[in-house]
Amino acid sequence: MLRLSDLHASYGSAPVVQGVSLTVEKGETVALLGPNGAGKSTLLAAITGTIAERRGEIFFENENLVKEKSHAIVARGVALVPEGRLVFVPFSVEDNLRLGAVRLRGGREAMRERFAYVYGLFPRLNERRSQRAGTLSGGEQQMLAIGRALMSHPRLLLLDEPFLGLAPLVVLEIRNALEKLRKSGLTLLIVEQKLDIALAFAQRAYVLIKGRVALEETTARLAQRAELADLYFSLATSSAASARPSL
Amino acid sequence: MRDFLELAVSAAASGCVYGLVALAYLLIMRPTGIVNFAVGEWAMLGAFGAYVASSVVQLPYAAGVAAVLLAMVAAGWLTERIAVRPLVERGAPVLAPILALLGMLVVFRESISLMFSPDPYPVPYAFGFGRLELGPLAGSYQSFFIIAVSLVVFAATWLFFERTLAGKCFEAVALNRRAAALMGINLARVTTLSFAAGAAVAGLAGVVAGANISAHYLMGVPLAIQGFTALVVGGVGRVEGALLGGLLLAFAEQLTIRYAPIPAGYAQGVPFLLLMLFLLLRPTGLLSARERSG
Repeated sequence: MLRLSDLHASYGSAPVVQGVSLTVEKGETVALLGPNGAGKSTLLAAITGTIAERRGEIFFENENLVKEKSHAIVARGVALVPEGRLVFVPFSVEDNLRLGAVRLRGGREAMRERFAYVYGLFPRLNERRSQRAGTLSGGEQQMLAIGRALMSHPRLLLLDEPFLGLAPLVVLEIRNALEKLRKSGLTLLIVEQKLDIALAFAQRAYVLIKGRVALEETTARLAQRAELADLYFSLATSSAASARPSL
Repeated sequence: MRDFLELAVSAAASGCVYGLVALAYLLIMRPTGIVNFAVGEWAMLGAFGAYVASSVVQLPYAAGVAAVLLAMVAAGWLTERIAVRPLVERGAPVLAPILALLGMLVVFRESISLMFSPDPYPVPYAFGFGRLELGPLAGSYQSFFIIAVSLVVFAATWLFFERTLAGKCFEAVALNRRAAALMGINLARVTTLSFAAGAAVAGLAGVVAGANISAHYLMGVPLAIQGFTALVVGGVGRVEGALLGGLLLAFAEQLTIRYAPIPAGYAQGVPFLLLMLFLLLRPTGLLSARERSG
């Protein structure tokens, strides 16, 4: 469904993503792991077209998105739940959700169906539909961010650290919702720093170190690795050694 | 009292013109962050357009205004394509299009000065020259017309932003461009439409104000300064703030001219004085903008 090939992305002259290739199959849940500054969020920005400097190939359902603008990418069925949520705080929950449906096709009937779907997934949003997003708790704002992304009826949902800074009970609630999405057949690509959450949730994982894929593994095999606790450190060390020119 | 009420009608009309210019600034500034000082020149183009439509082409007033507004939409669209989009697409800092638009200001003014002599050109009144009394309020037909038209424009703009999904899209871009892009909002289209709408509103200000002050190639800069002052006084970010700022500025000007024991020429300093006072004491203006995304 999604195939990245030799993808590069940069902020000005600073390269962040450096030749990443990966695939995500339809209905699969894939985790993108890595330490801070590895380029995980930049990779998602490159897929969604919110970073200008990118080259390589981003094939989504056999269409190359690398030259597409972000609005066209959303229309093709890719949605991102960004890190930090970025909800529109002065707007009501309902208006935030409505904005998520800007690219939804099918008129009012489709809009009604999406509202019902999102409110079914997060009943708390339904209870707070008229409330300003800025007055919601952090967990509710994360639910809103996920619900808003779902309003466009995406076929691929990208999530950037969806559990960051949330209380354990809220993490559980959001995990349950994501589990429902996964079971419904939605393809998910999740950026996560915490290995335990990612391993429990995804089927495969890519580990990014300094903008490059350092490891691709099924999560079942990844969980069995002896150096799991120091995975990022050992991968960073080995990638630095391989990058060092030989004498 | 009668004198004051007559003055109030005239001040309200001037305030509405300043408010329209402030609204033109706002329509562009909110979603793009770009301060377009060429709005005054757009008002000048609108006034000259009204002169051409009435005196050269001899269109009826309503048709002439409609033609001018359409031409202004095209001017705004063209300005964005020439001076803004190429820079934004290359990731230039926001100062770059602001400077490019200052260049456009010169282009507009000098183009008009080449096409027309430096004499004032008559712009038609909507209902001719006459005096209307509404209870204790009295003023020229044109003053009441300006007030009515401005209120309709402000009400329509407010309703657009508050009650329609398209308006929310504009607001979303103003609140957080990245989040808006992730919703599937076409940022380039919002920028183009904001320039087209800003040009139309500024052009309308020129059309209605031109009847009182005539079209002249140097009329743009004073209007740009008064509109900018109204924007700062009212609060950068709210539609109703632009009108409030315009009214406050016009009343301060006219009350100073009428009642302050100073030479009339000094009253021209009122916008600058208000601008400095607000920048020093309340830089957010009377009405604060909405907070950004969280």
